[in-house]
Amino acid sequence: MTIQDKKLEAQEVPLSRRRFLGLLGKGAACAGAIVGAVGAGSALGAAEAGSGKHAYQQNDKQYAEAVNDPPKIPEYNWNDHQWAMGVDTTRCIGCLRCMEACKMENSVQMDANHNRTWVERYVYLEGSNTALIDSQADPKNIANAGSETKFRFDNRYKDAKVEKAFFVAKLCNQCEHPSCVEVCPTGATFKSKDGPVLIDTTYCIGCQYCVQACPYGARSFNESRGTAEKCNWCYHRITKGLNPACVEVCPTGSRVFGDRNDPESPVSLFIRNNHVQVLKPEMGNAPNVFYVGLDKEVV
Amino acid sequence: MPKHIVRLLALVAVFAIIAIAAKEFLIPASFYQYGHYRGAAVAEIASKIPKLDGSASCQSCHKEAYAEWVTGIHRKATRNDVVQGLVIKNGPNCEVCHTGPAGNHPSKEAMPLSIEDRVTTITHKHIIHPADVPGRNLMLAAKDMQSVCLACHEKLEARPKAQPQIAVDSHGGQELCTTCHNPHSPRVNFAAVPRPPYDSITGNAIPVSAFKPGDAGAGKSVAAACAGCHGNAGMSVNPEWPNLAGQHAGYLVSSLKAFKSGTRKNDMMSGMAAGLSDADMRNVAAYFSKAGCGVTWGDKAKALLGKAKVAEAGCAACHNAGGLRAAGAAGISASQAWPNLAGQNAGYLGVALKAFKDGSREHAVMSSVAKTLSDSDIDNQSAYFASVSCR
Repeated sequence: MTIQDKKLEAQEVPLSRRRFLGLLGKGAACAGAIVGAVGAGSALGAAEAGSGKHAYQQNDKQYAEAVNDPPKIPEYNWNDHQWAMGVDTTRCIGCLRCMEACKMENSVQMDANHNRTWVERYVYLEGSNTALIDSQADPKNIANAGSETKFRFDNRYKDAKVEKAFFVAKLCNQCEHPSCVEVCPTGATFKSKDGPVLIDTTYCIGCQYCVQACPYGARSFNESRGTAEKCNWCYHRITKGLNPACVEVCPTGSRVFGDRNDPESPVSLFIRNNHVQVLKPEMGNAPNVFYVGLDKEVV
Repeated sequence: MPKHIVRLLALVAVFAIIAIAAKEFLIPASFYQYGHYRGAAVAEIASKIPKLDGSASCQSCHKEAYAEWVTGIHRKATRNDVVQGLVIKNGPNCEVCHTGPAGNHPSKEAMPLSIEDRVTTITHKHIIHPADVPGRNLMLAAKDMQSVCLACHEKLEARPKAQPQIAVDSHGGQELCTTCHNPHSPRVNFAAVPRPPYDSITGNAIPVSAFKPGDAGAGKSVAAACAGCHGNAGMSVNPEWPNLAGQHAGYLVSSLKAFKSGTRKNDMMSGMAAGLSDADMRNVAAYFSKAGCGVTWGDKAKALLGKAKVAEAGCAACHNAGGLRAAGAAGISASQAWPNLAGQNAGYLGVALKAFKDGSREHAVMSSVAKTLSDSDIDNQSAYFASVSCR
């Protein structure tokens, strides 16, 4: 086919493919314009968003409005706080009172496997380079306690030659870059401005992607509610000036909580005065729970 | 423009309008306010009512228990510790052991439901909490105390050394923690802890005199065989043999059983006990426990020294030395299972303590206590107890 033929064909066909696609593009542009005009609250301003802190489709003005209009919590402004927790494993006695208090405070399922916080025991026997690890959910510990709802560590190493042993309390790390929020398809879980990663239970569809995404195993599924379950540092307590339940009941002061914006808060002092570590730093989640006395095998 | 193109465009426009309308209608106003989530959810989560309410809220009704706790070692451990400039609140408060939080008390039904409870959307599986959910019963029964105390104080390899820990077998054995310790103020100081002893089976408080195991009348005939050494009325003829008059019947029975089984060794007593049935033991014990006892008197100077020492050695915890317990008289033991020491022969007490010390007699608590005593301590304490009236 020659060029001449092509021109001829173009004249003969009423609407060429090129013209059709062009019109379709213009149509889409028109539709887009309508979207932009009608959806006044959400102008296509993604390009205008100045920094990563802006919400999706939010321009500078809307962002400033959101900052000046924090969530309506009495006597509390989330712009003023940056919460963090410290865990001193050298003080933990493995009494599991934190876990029990947490379940009571937050109506978590009472069985040993669904927890917002829990405690692990690491034991190195003499001559061994790997730790034996168990938690309250270990069948032997449940059998020893006589009930799944009692939460006790048994005395299984009474007659063993133990080189080193310690307890480590675990909970949600309220990461700066939370994997769970990344995968949530409905916006049911999110990072609040003052630190904790929260769950909007009315939006959670119970798909459990977040449970799988968390590198720390900190999430579980609450079957009675049909939603994901996670620690939120007792957001309803900390916004009222109280400590989280686990910190409140810890009899040895192994858990420390506070506001990093306050340089004299317990957690600021904890971080400043100790050599602190976080769990799995290589994951890039940037946890906000800081540990003292972690060991090589603790992950 | 051709007709079919116009139709197509119209269709696109209609879809766009439906999509926009649906978006406006379905997405709450606060979505995207702070991010890809419903902004109003933050305040909803924060509006939940805290359940743990702190010890102060317990005080309003439980003044007595609060007063015990606030002066005791558990409260003292709750002081603010300053470690490297860091203030650490530690020590158990009410809700550490009474794990049903104050907010759930007196009944959970009285509490408003939490936001999460209200918005239950899907019920995948109905979870029924077992009846022994902690906190269902805020009042801890004495029989559960062992488990509660041991949650923090059982000797575990992984526990830091600073935590006070006990090896159950060598500490109190099967005896309940509450027999010696008041959980609100566990350091054993009965001056500050006026609590009656507990029945180790039911967990109820019992008066010391309530234990009536045998028939004293029937026991009198059995007691005739004992009279050669322990006297007709239970006052021994030799100061190195124990007086039985006024002794706890429970202790006498357990001693006779121990002689019979061989767990306690004495050539004379093993032979005597071998011929006694359980009923004989209960009856003879009842007979002696009712017999009138007296003061045997020890060396006065030693007794004074001994009085100071018994408080230090912790005899008071079980044997009520110095009359420190408000309930019961001095030297009268808290439990039927333990001997009264008031008015006992100083010579016998010395022999017994030295036997515990050198290991020829064994007891979960006494063996370790006796090892901390010097021979002169033993003499002084024996003289003290001998000088205390058992009535």
